[in-house]
Order: sequence, then C-alpha cells, then structure tokens
Amino acid sequence: MAEYFFELLTEEIPAWMHEAAHAVLLQQLTKLTHDLGEPDGDRNPVIVNSTPRRIIFFLSRIPLRESDREEEVKGPPIKAAYDAEGKPTQALLGFLKKNAATIEDVIDEGRLSGVGSRKEEGGVASETRTDKGSDTPPPTPDTRTNYIRIRRQIKGRAAGEILQQRIPQIVESLRWPKMMRWGNGEHSYIRPIHSIVSVLDGEHLPITIFGLPSGTTTVGHRTLAPQKIEVTSYNDYVTQLELNRVVIDAERRRHVMAERARILANEAGGAPAIDASIWSQWQYLTEYPGVVRAEFGGDYLALPEEVLVTVMRVHQKQLPIRTTAGKLTSSFLAVLDNDGDPDGNAAYGNSFVTNARFADAKFFYETDRKRTLVSRRDQLSHLQFQEKLGNYLQKTDRIEQVAAAITDDPETLAAARLCKTDLVTEMVKEFTELQGNIGGIYAREEGMPENTWQAVYDHYLPINIDDALPRTRSGAVVSLADKIDTLVGFFLVGARPTGSKDPFALRRAAQGVVQILLNRDKRSVKIGIDKLIDVALQAHEQPGNPATQQLKPDLLAFFAERIRTLLEVSAYGFAYDEIAAAMETGWASSLTDLVDRIGAVKAMRNEPNFLSILDSAKRIANITAGQQIAASVDPSKLENDVERRLASLAAAVSTQIEEMIAERDYKRALETFAAMAPELETFFDEVMVMVEDETLRRNRMALLHKIGGAVAGIADVTKIVVDRREYRT
Amino acid sequence: MPRLSFQDLILRLQTFWAEQGCMLETPLDVAVGAGTMHPATFLRVLGPEPWNVGYVQPSRRPADGRYGDNPFRLGKHYQFQVVLKPSPLNVQDLYLDSLRAIGLDLTRHDIRFEEDNWEAPTLGAWGVGWQILLDGMEITQFTYFQQAGGIDLSPISAEITYGLERLTMFLSRQASIYDIEWGAGFGYGPVRKQDEYEFSKYYFETADIDMHWQLFKLYEKEAQHCLDESLVLPAYEWTLKCSHVFNTLDARGAVSVTERVGVMKRVRDLAVSCAHQFLASREALGFPLLNPMANPLVNPLIRERA
Repeated sequence: MAEYFFELLTEEIPAWMHEAAHAVLLQQLTKLTHDLGEPDGDRNPVIVNSTPRRIIFFLSRIPLRESDREEEVKGPPIKAAYDAEGKPTQALLGFLKKNAATIEDVIDEGRLSGVGSRKEEGGVASETRTDKGSDTPPPTPDTRTNYIRIRRQIKGRAAGEILQQRIPQIVESLRWPKMMRWGNGEHSYIRPIHSIVSVLDGEHLPITIFGLPSGTTTVGHRTLAPQKIEVTSYNDYVTQLELNRVVIDAERRRHVMAERARILANEAGGAPAIDASIWSQWQYLTEYPGVVRAEFGGDYLALPEEVLVTVMRVHQKQLPIRTTAGKLTSSFLAVLDNDGDPDGNAAYGNSFVTNARFADAKFFYETDRKRTLVSRRDQLSHLQFQEKLGNYLQKTDRIEQVAAAITDDPETLAAARLCKTDLVTEMVKEFTELQGNIGGIYAREEGMPENTWQAVYDHYLPINIDDALPRTRSGAVVSLADKIDTLVGFFLVGARPTGSKDPFALRRAAQGVVQILLNRDKRSVKIGIDKLIDVALQAHEQPGNPATQQLKPDLLAFFAERIRTLLEVSAYGFAYDEIAAAMETGWASSLTDLVDRIGAVKAMRNEPNFLSILDSAKRIANITAGQQIAASVDPSKLENDVERRLASLAAAVSTQIEEMIAERDYKRALETFAAMAPELETFFDEVMVMVEDETLRRNRMALLHKIGGAVAGIADVTKIVVDRREYRT
Repeated sequence: MPRLSFQDLILRLQTFWAEQGCMLETPLDVAVGAGTMHPATFLRVLGPEPWNVGYVQPSRRPADGRYGDNPFRLGKHYQFQVVLKPSPLNVQDLYLDSLRAIGLDLTRHDIRFEEDNWEAPTLGAWGVGWQILLDGMEITQFTYFQQAGGIDLSPISAEITYGLERLTMFLSRQASIYDIEWGAGFGYGPVRKQDEYEFSKYYFETADIDMHWQLFKLYEKEAQHCLDESLVLPAYEWTLKCSHVFNTLDARGAVSVTERVGVMKRVRDLAVSCAHQFLASREALGFPLLNPMANPLVNPLIRERA
C-alpha cells in the first residue's frame, strides 16, 4: 500500500466555493482510488481539505500498482482469418503480431480448436462466452462473434504512472463558478496557481499543472510565517504547517473559532448568534483561526435591529452577540487570520469600520424618517418596474386591486398600498436585501396597526422553498397579489423563463404563490390560481393584447410544474403518479382540495383492494376509449341479471360517492368505489360488452362509463403505476 | 503603529512602487470617479504592451458628498492606483511589501483577501479580485482585469487601488477623516472641508439641470466628432466629461430610472468605441511599448519576467 499527498498553492479562493469543490474532488478521487484497486478496510482512503489558498488531498492505502487484468481484442472477421485449408491467413497473423499474441491466444469457441471443426460462417448460434457463468443463457447471435477475438494480459500500471496522468486532469478540469485569467492570460482557473506539492510514499512524484512543475516545497502562513517549507509526507506536512501557522483542516479551524467565539461572547454577557452561513464562510477566510471581539457605539442600538444585523452579517461578515434573553448587544465578533490580537489592532479596526457603516445607516434612517411612507407613493411613479409594465405606483395599484378581490379588510389594503414605498428610501437603496423589512419597520414607527406593518414587512416571503410564510393572513394576501401581478405581467410581455435562465425569478414567485395557497392555518387564503390569474389580468387592463389569449394556459402549465415539484420534494412527499392522477381531475380552483385528493389516493394505494379500483378503472377506460356511448343507461335495455344487478348497484353507489365527494370525504368515496369491484368482475366475466347490437353495446358502455366516472372527481386513478408484487398475499 | 500623514503615505507608496519598477504618472486633469478611468489604466490595459505605473488620482463621486458632516465619506477622495501588466506572479507579495513599506508590522495585524469582483458597466469592463482587509477594514481593491471596453484582455493587468484617506485615518488612529494631517502641519479638515461642503451643496442642490443635460449632449457629440476624426485620446477625454456630467445629474436627482439605463448605455458606447480605436491606433503604431526604454537590468518588474 502506498500513500499520495498533494497540495495546490493558489491565491485566495472565495470562501463560498470551497465546499462544492471538495465534493467534486472527493468524488473524482474516490473514483481514482477505485480504479487503482479496491481499498482495504472501511475507512475512506481519500481526504480532501482546503484553506483560503491551498487545496490539499491525501490518498492513503492505495495499491502500488493496478492489478493485472485480461482484455479482449477484436481482430479480422473469421471468414478472412483462415484460408480454404483452415490455415491462418496473413490478416490473422498480422493481427496477432501487432498484439504480440500467438494463435493460442485466440479465444476458443469450441469450434476453432481444430481446422476441421471450423464451420462456415463461424457457427454463431452455439457460441458461449467462456468468461460468463455457466447459468448464463447463450447470448443471442450478433455480428461481434463473427470476428476473431483474442485475450490479452494487461499488466497493471504502477500507481505513480496513473497518478501522474490523472491528478493533473482532475485538478485542471475543476469547474469553478467564476474563472479568471492572469499574467499572460494563457490559463483560466479560480485564481493564479503558485506551486504544487506531489509526494508518493515520501518521494516527489513529478506532475505538471497548467505548465507548472510540481515539487516538495510549500510556504507557511502569508504574513506570520512566510518561509519555504520542505515536506516529505502528509503527516510531516500537517505538522510543519501547523508550526508555520496554518491549520489545514477546515473543520478544526471552525471548532477553534467556535470555542473562542463562545468564550469571548460569554465574557461580554451573551452568546454568539447562531449563524451557519457565517461559520461556513469564516472557516475558509483564515489559515490560522482566530476570533476578535469588538464594540460599536451604543447609540446605534437605537437603529432598527434588522439594519444592524444586516450590516454586521452580510456586509461585514461579523457575528452579533445577543444576551440570553435574545437582546442585541453592542459587542460583536469578527474572524481573524491570526490566533490573537496582541495590540488590539483588529478590535480597533473592526469597531472602526462597523461604526462607519452604522453612521451611514443612521444618516439614511434620519433622512428617511423625515417623510411618511404614504407621501412616498408619488416617488414610486418615477421608479420603473419594467419597461412595458409601468412604474411601481402602477404596480402598487394593481397589487391593491388584486388584494381587494380577495379581501375587503382595510388594514390589508393599506399594506398593499404601502408595500413598495420603501424602495425609494435611502435605507433600501443602500441595503437592498432589507426591502419590505424597512417599509414594515417605518410603518410600525409611524404607528400603523400591527396587521398592516407586518404585512408590509413580510410581503416578499416566501422567497425560498424553506422560508417561513408571512406571519399574518394580510401578509399572505399582499404577497400573493404582488407575486401574481409579477407573473402575469412578465408573461404578458413575453419575458418567460427559458431553461436555466430566469432573470426575474418567476419560478420562485410561482412557487411562493403555491406555498401560500397550500397553507391551511389561520393565514389561509381560499382562492384558486385560476381566479387569481383572472383578477391579475383584469388589473393589467390589457384586454386588447393578443398575448392574453395564450397567457392563461401557459401560466397554468407553468404553475402545474411548480406544484408537481413542490408536492413531490417538500414535506408532503407525494409520489409523482399520485400527484399526476389527482391533478388530472383539476387543481386550478383549489390547491388544498388537490392535496386532499392526493392524500386519499395515497392512503388508498396502501389498501389491499386498491388493485381492484385500479383494475376496474383501467378496464373501463380501455373498453370505453373512443367508443360511442349512450347518454345514460336505459334500464329497459339491460338484458341479464348480472348487468341489472351492476346497474342498480352503480346507481346507488354513484349517488353515495357523489355525496362523499361533495363532503370531501375522498377516501371513503374511493373505498365505496372499490367495493363494487367483485360485482364488476362478475360482469366482465359473464357479460359481453362489445356485442353486434349497437343499442345494447352503447347501453353497456354507458353503464361502465357511469361507474368509471364515479371517482373522476377525485383523480384519474389509471395514472397510478403499481408494482403488483406488493399486493400479493 | 506608524503615525503617517496623508502626504507621507503618498510619498512612501510612490517611492515603494517606483523602486519596484513602476513609472510614476500624474493625476488626470479631468474629473473622474476613480483612478481606473485614467487613460493610464483604462486604455493601457488594452493590447499586448507591457505597462507598470503608479499615480494618485482625485476621485469625484458627487452622490457620496456629505456636506463635510460625515467622518467617513467624501464627495472627493484620493486613490493611489498601481497597474502592473502583465500581472506578475508575486503581485500579492509586492502588495504586502508595500504595507510593510508604510510601516506596518504585518505579524501584528490581520490581513485578509476577500472575494470582491469589480464591474464598470459604463466602461464595458470587469475583473476578478478581492477587497483587502486590514484589521477588518477595507483598505485596497485588488483586481485582475479581464475585460475593458468589451475587449477580452491579454495579457492580464493587476490593478491595486489604495483608499488614501481611509488608510491614513486608520494608521493615525483618527475617528474622522477631517482630523488627519495632510502634511507639514496642515490638517485635512482645514484644507478640504469647505471644498466638501460647497461641492455637496452644488451637486445636490445647485447644479443647473438643464445646462448639464445640454453639456452632456455637447460632450457626447464632441466625443463622437473626435472618434470620427480618429483622435481617440481627445474622444476619451470628452467621454469622461460625459460620465462626470451624468454623475452630477444623478446626484442632483435629475435622472429617472428609465433615462438612467439609456444614458449609461450612451456613455458605454463611447467608452467601447474609444477602447477599440485606441487598440487599433496602438497597433498602427506598432505597439511601441513592446520595446520599452526601461532597462531590464534596473526594472525589477521586467527583470522578473525576463
């Protein structure tokens, strides 16, 4: 067993790109080690790590060389390989020579061992591959077997040789999210590369990446220990780098910082805010992990907390400290690429810069507060929403109009009128990620009802699939109105998402609409997407626009996709076919009803008599497909007992099912339907549907159609895919 | 901790970069928003000619004016700009040496390079790089230029832009820009505060909007005229004037969102034409700087490559 160790020294790689790169490297390197031969033991023999300017990997326990293997090589056609006397032709001999093989290496198919046994055209039907197990059926004849084949022993290559070839490929082909060129501009990579360490079992294994030859030398920390370091192995490297102020393990850097953060925050009477995104950035912003605590001016605590937190987290990558009661303090934490701050420089610098940003925020806040939100509505007319869709005042008016079609609650409509006014505040111009929140905060400070300011605050929610919904029904209504207006608007002007391009985030908007409409708690909004589109279209007042014709079916199809995805991947966890079956019946008038129906189908499919429902429905669908069917069942045309019994059962059961569907008791409706199965089976066994007599035939069709249609209001169950073995008892 | 004045800082940076093999340019005598817009950067990064330069550039950003009230923000600040073309592989080390040259003991400070890419839509330019943080504060923008005037660059230039006031303020532990020393006992506040107040008042409240729109059109026309006459350097200067007039109108609140996109495109179109024409004109001249006067024996940046 051998071990291989690699380091790529670059310039600082953006923190957010590391983890994705690790995953790709891990996968490629694991594949590489598998190609070299199965590793012994359970421990993964691949370690990938990185610091801001190093990519490191270590392959432990790889075989010294690949195992030898056999390979088949195809030669000339059998016809051309032997002459009339059965002697090898020049074609065969040439082929053997080229492959350094002898006639003995030709695969014996049981007919080529002796000249006399060679059949014309090479008896393909009886061919058996010698390397297959004996229980394998003979392969079907194919053209391949009309050719000479030889078996060749391939000597496994030394691990070093393979690594020399594969490592540069793996490293050079890493696709980073944003590449750059440098120097003479010949190469494109995440950042310029400086040196490569490549060591196989204590020896330098020379490789070349982007023309740069490898060595066994690296450097320590950029400022704390910038000297050159000679390394002989991975363990030696880890130790030496640690001595030279570089901790190569990202997890360990994180632990060190987390512990330090906890202590520093504790000293300040609080705890670091829990923030996974900050931690995952910090661990790739430092080679020698450290944390410093700094203070900002206590006066700034009078600013809205959201602003303070956003400045610290998003703009400064700092971690606020909160008291145990959750109150923000004027202390915060920042990352250091140094284990300490002996002169207090970093504490000073971080305080300095945070105070500067807060001073700006305070200026914006005080400027903004000189005007009310209502008075800003006029300014919205100068802010364009989209070239063909007018300005934000017009958008706001449309939002209000849509909201008014859902509710007449004055507090909600007030929120609709104000929801976009913060776009013209200085604060949102500076901190765009706080749009909505700032409007909500200002509305609160102007003394507006809680319902109104919270609706303004929340109306962009949900943005992502795991976001919370607006906390009130008013917020949900304004959010819906805003999103549907955007969707209808962009579809009207033909700016629809294509492929991976969705510059206006319309997929997210549609997903947000679906998330809100699926909700059933006190915030639930009972409106169908169908109706929502109609109202939004009216608000756009473009009846003459020819795009309106095609808009609705297109937009509904767009929504259908989002619904399918959301119901499949989210906590609902419905199966694709269940969703498809229930959606076939319709969904545009109520999404909660759709979920109920899917739920019934899902529950039903686990019942033993589900196969009956499915078989009955499929049989009926098959028979009645494309047939002339009488409008209704004529009892006088029913010929025998079996069909009369089925007809009277159907009449009774259909009425029951109708009532159950009306009461949304979909599961019982499906069970009732399933109960008809035995009678139906008898019918299919004893009654011929496709009879000559047209009246009779049409009447029987009508009967089946009536039965088949009984649960059509729930789902098209024929869309369900079943594995019948699951139902065997 | 070095107690440097504003001018000490400039002198040390100039000396340091001159010693590394940079030619010292002088500031452009046209109002610009950043050192990048100086022809010594925007035009010289084009084409194959090597170029190593350092200069101070007063940078006017009308919308950033705060009437001299805000201790951290200025309507006009000063940048020290370095362009190294092609970017040497040790450019980050050179940069760290420049910090040592201004008296920083880097083992006692926190220095980090955090991703910050740069894009200037009105110049059709973008690059990849970092903001460099000293003890958590951004003191420098570092950019590998990838494209300028819509043209893919090769070789690639490294651009290093120091924010001079911020750095002085930080190094001299002052809480306000106006409290730093310019030099020779003169304070930055007494020297510049009136300037900040008057220009804030001018850009935000006083500038004649109609006249500025007229100027924009006149400058634009003249830029085009120069381009038609194949006089690319004057054309570029008129383009810069267009850009500053646009910034003035913007600060004055006279550019609606709809207009904004259109006006920016007009400036960009001029800048892109200038870039193409400059490249063509250098080619017609046979790229004279491919054979620079600079002696490789004395210029470490050129020696490094040789």
